[in-house]
Amino acid sequence: MISIQGLSKEFAVSGGNVAAIKGLDLEVAEGEFFVIVGASGSGKTTLLRCVAGLELPDKGTIRIAGQVVSSDNPPTSVPSQQRRLGMVFQSYAVWPHLTVYENVALPLAEGAQRVPRREVASRAREALRLVQLEEVADRSATLLSGGQQQRVALARAIAVNPRILLMDEPLSNLDARLREEVRGKIRELAKQLGATVLYVTHDQVEAMAMADRIALMQAGEFLQVGSPTELYRDPARVEVAEFFGLMNWLKGRVVQPGLAETPIGPLRFKGAAAPAGEVLLGFRPECVAILESASHAESNSFPAALRSSMFLGDQLVYHAAVGEQLFAGKCRTVAACSGGRLQLYIDPDDVMLFSAGKRVDQETAAARPSAAVRAAG
Amino acid sequence: MKQAVLRLPAFIGWRNQASPALMGLALAPIGVILVLVAVMLWVSFQRGLFGTPTAIYTLENYQTILSDPFLYRVLWNTAIFTLTTTCVALLTGLPIAWLAERTTIPGKTLIYAIMTLGLLIPGIYTAMGWTFIAHPRIGFLNRWLVDLFGLESAPINIATPIGMGFVQGLSLAAVAFILTAQMFRAMNPTLEEAAQVHGMSFVTILHRVTFPLALPGILAAVIYIVTIGVATFDIPAILGLGNRVYMLSTYIYIKVHPQGSGLPEYGITGAVGTFMIVVAALLTSWYGQVLRSGHRFEVVTGKGYRPALIKLGRWAVVGWLFIGLYAFVSKLLPLLLITYAALTPYFAPPSLEMMRQLSLVHFYNMDWELVLRGARNTATLVLVVPLLVLLFAFAISWLVVRSRSRARYALEFCAFLPQALPEVILAIGALLLALFVLREFVPLYGSVWLIAIVYVVARIAFATRALNGSLLQIHRELEEAAFVSGLSTLRTARRVLLPLLWPTLLSVWLWTALLVYRELTVAVFLGIHDNITFPAVIWSYWYAGGMNKASAVTLLMTAVLAPLIVAFWWFGRRSQVPT
Repeated sequence: MISIQGLSKEFAVSGGNVAAIKGLDLEVAEGEFFVIVGASGSGKTTLLRCVAGLELPDKGTIRIAGQVVSSDNPPTSVPSQQRRLGMVFQSYAVWPHLTVYENVALPLAEGAQRVPRREVASRAREALRLVQLEEVADRSATLLSGGQQQRVALARAIAVNPRILLMDEPLSNLDARLREEVRGKIRELAKQLGATVLYVTHDQVEAMAMADRIALMQAGEFLQVGSPTELYRDPARVEVAEFFGLMNWLKGRVVQPGLAETPIGPLRFKGAAAPAGEVLLGFRPECVAILESASHAESNSFPAALRSSMFLGDQLVYHAAVGEQLFAGKCRTVAACSGGRLQLYIDPDDVMLFSAGKRVDQETAAARPSAAVRAAG
Repeated sequence: MKQAVLRLPAFIGWRNQASPALMGLALAPIGVILVLVAVMLWVSFQRGLFGTPTAIYTLENYQTILSDPFLYRVLWNTAIFTLTTTCVALLTGLPIAWLAERTTIPGKTLIYAIMTLGLLIPGIYTAMGWTFIAHPRIGFLNRWLVDLFGLESAPINIATPIGMGFVQGLSLAAVAFILTAQMFRAMNPTLEEAAQVHGMSFVTILHRVTFPLALPGILAAVIYIVTIGVATFDIPAILGLGNRVYMLSTYIYIKVHPQGSGLPEYGITGAVGTFMIVVAALLTSWYGQVLRSGHRFEVVTGKGYRPALIKLGRWAVVGWLFIGLYAFVSKLLPLLLITYAALTPYFAPPSLEMMRQLSLVHFYNMDWELVLRGARNTATLVLVVPLLVLLFAFAISWLVVRSRSRARYALEFCAFLPQALPEVILAIGALLLALFVLREFVPLYGSVWLIAIVYVVARIAFATRALNGSLLQIHRELEEAAFVSGLSTLRTARRVLLPLLWPTLLSVWLWTALLVYRELTVAVFLGIHDNITFPAVIWSYWYAGGMNKASAVTLLMTAVLAPLIVAFWWFGRRSQVPT
């Protein structure tokens, strides 16, 4: 549905030009909920605005449903108005001088794809019904709460029957509790409408909760594109692993396939990669298991001293030291890690191996069945 | 053209592809200003018939003015005048601003109303009124004092640099008020509270904390007023020209409009004008520096602090006496005397005898053809100029606020230029342009459109700043949301931008219209027969010695002005009046 090739965009700042996007390629399938996630300044909003036609890219081609909407060769730029998009802005951009209904109806009545006059009302009402704002339709838009304004913006975006729904951090101005509630609703609504969504956020939890596929962006480039489980369980790079959650890191050296020598002793890992030189071994806190004190003999098992713990209700986060090395761990029960001495176990399946910042024990992403299932659904 | 307007990225990504329509609108007034300055420089270096092969390029004009003792006399007059103006304006405006912003004085709305009115009532009213009050020959105050004490000559002479400075100062007190009131409002009161808590007395705080903090703001106001004072024309013209007391601006006027059989000395005018541009540029850059250094004192605070107000108690009466005296002396008394003069056959000190002679004779004998011509020209200007100002200023503002190109800084700076250039300079520049460059190819000389062009460029700076402020507050995503959801650029402007900008547009329109309506300097320099404006009619009667007739026309003009002022004030209460 969206096809991007070699997209580049620079901005003039004091003291030269800064590249916001560096030669990106991207394919988004019809009906897919695609999330671009990254820290601020990573270029994700610029990418979205290029698709929207609000920025003119320096290089590259953007196609929407097969139609070239932006290209440097030959120079083409279809105006925003004619790209048939819906967009939810970070500030919501709800027009403050109009009522809720008028906000939704204005693009229908006076937009590029002129809707017949008698259909305007029914389509605007339908969009408001979908976001459950029918009863405040005639209220001034500025009198609404942040969450309601956000839904007005959403209704306005879906009312025009867009080919693509673009969302630029639509939830970042909502409070935490509301954010969780709304993100489920947006995904539900998008799936119900069968919409193709390009969604930008800086919040990795939001990205994982909503996306069919995620692209992690940094400094104008995609670090990795894949399903949420792929990016979390099989990060291709150190930065990706760290972005999506806590990691425990160990420096080491591979002595034979599947075994590395580390400061805490030999550590087994899955896969047959054996890169020379120093490697980085990583595993997530929830992959650290606490063993019954009896089973000492196993490999990948280390005695540790508990340093601190935090009870968060659904889980307990603790820090334990193996020798000089501090590890974060998560477990469900308080009892499991009470007492000062622990025996930790790290499953070789859960250990990821990185060399020079890149993953070296990689399984192919497609091998993960879960990703394919989610994308299809 | 169609391409340019419809292609959104061109509109937004100015760096990549300029939208010619918008750029043209933004650059046109700036181009005019640069041309006016260039023409003045060009003329100042010539003798002979400018712009023809017989013209000689020379420094003679500069040599002439530098060796002219009369010009040094004029400079001295201007210095005294400007100094007096600044003192009077500040000593009146600053205390009233302090009263209004930092004390518990009652009736603050009324104070603001009086001072806004002070901005809107033309300076020539005050000048005419004060001629009737304190002119050595006809001023009633002088006559009364002479009679009362048996003096041999008039004790007060308003037609001196100090006297004119006093009148100009009264007229600019409102400007001083607005500038310093803003400063007091922005001042962080916790700084004074800190001094109070740590045991300092009221006087010590005023002396050691409040005043030093206010100093940059006051200095900025001083420079601003000096910049106006050095080049102001209308009050020195009304009070001084008839009595042969000249300032720089009126000196230029007699060089262009020599009395008797003399020929206009345009080369000299160009040289003096160039000198004034340099002075104005220096003052303006100093003003900018002071404003920037003032930000040094700005302590970041949370939103909406409430200034600690000083309890006045019975001293409020003294405060109001001061304000009342100011209103009476600067506005009420002059207006009363103008009315009186308009209704009496000749000017004599008010007496019972004179009251019996009240009549409408000046209205009957008025040259109605002239007055109506003036009214028609002024009406044309009021209809055309504010709209053009809004159009150009909007184009500039939009590019300055919305574009991300580095060129926008240059644009912003250029839009500020007319602020630095006195109206006299713009008028002279336009005169020289029409006479020696455009000549018969574009016959603008003597046309109301020449005046219109100068008015437009002169008001761009103010309008641009007001619009910048408003546009900054309208999130750009409001426009982008319209673009993305399919609204064309024009529809976006009409359905989204215009309704949101409406209050600012209206108040800028009204303010510009009022200033155009009362403007005298440009109108006098550029006005000949056909393009005389309403205020210029007053001026021509006055200059020819018909003071009572001039007063009668002034009454007519006020009758039209009053509803506009009421509209402005009524509207100003509902939206922020740009200053």
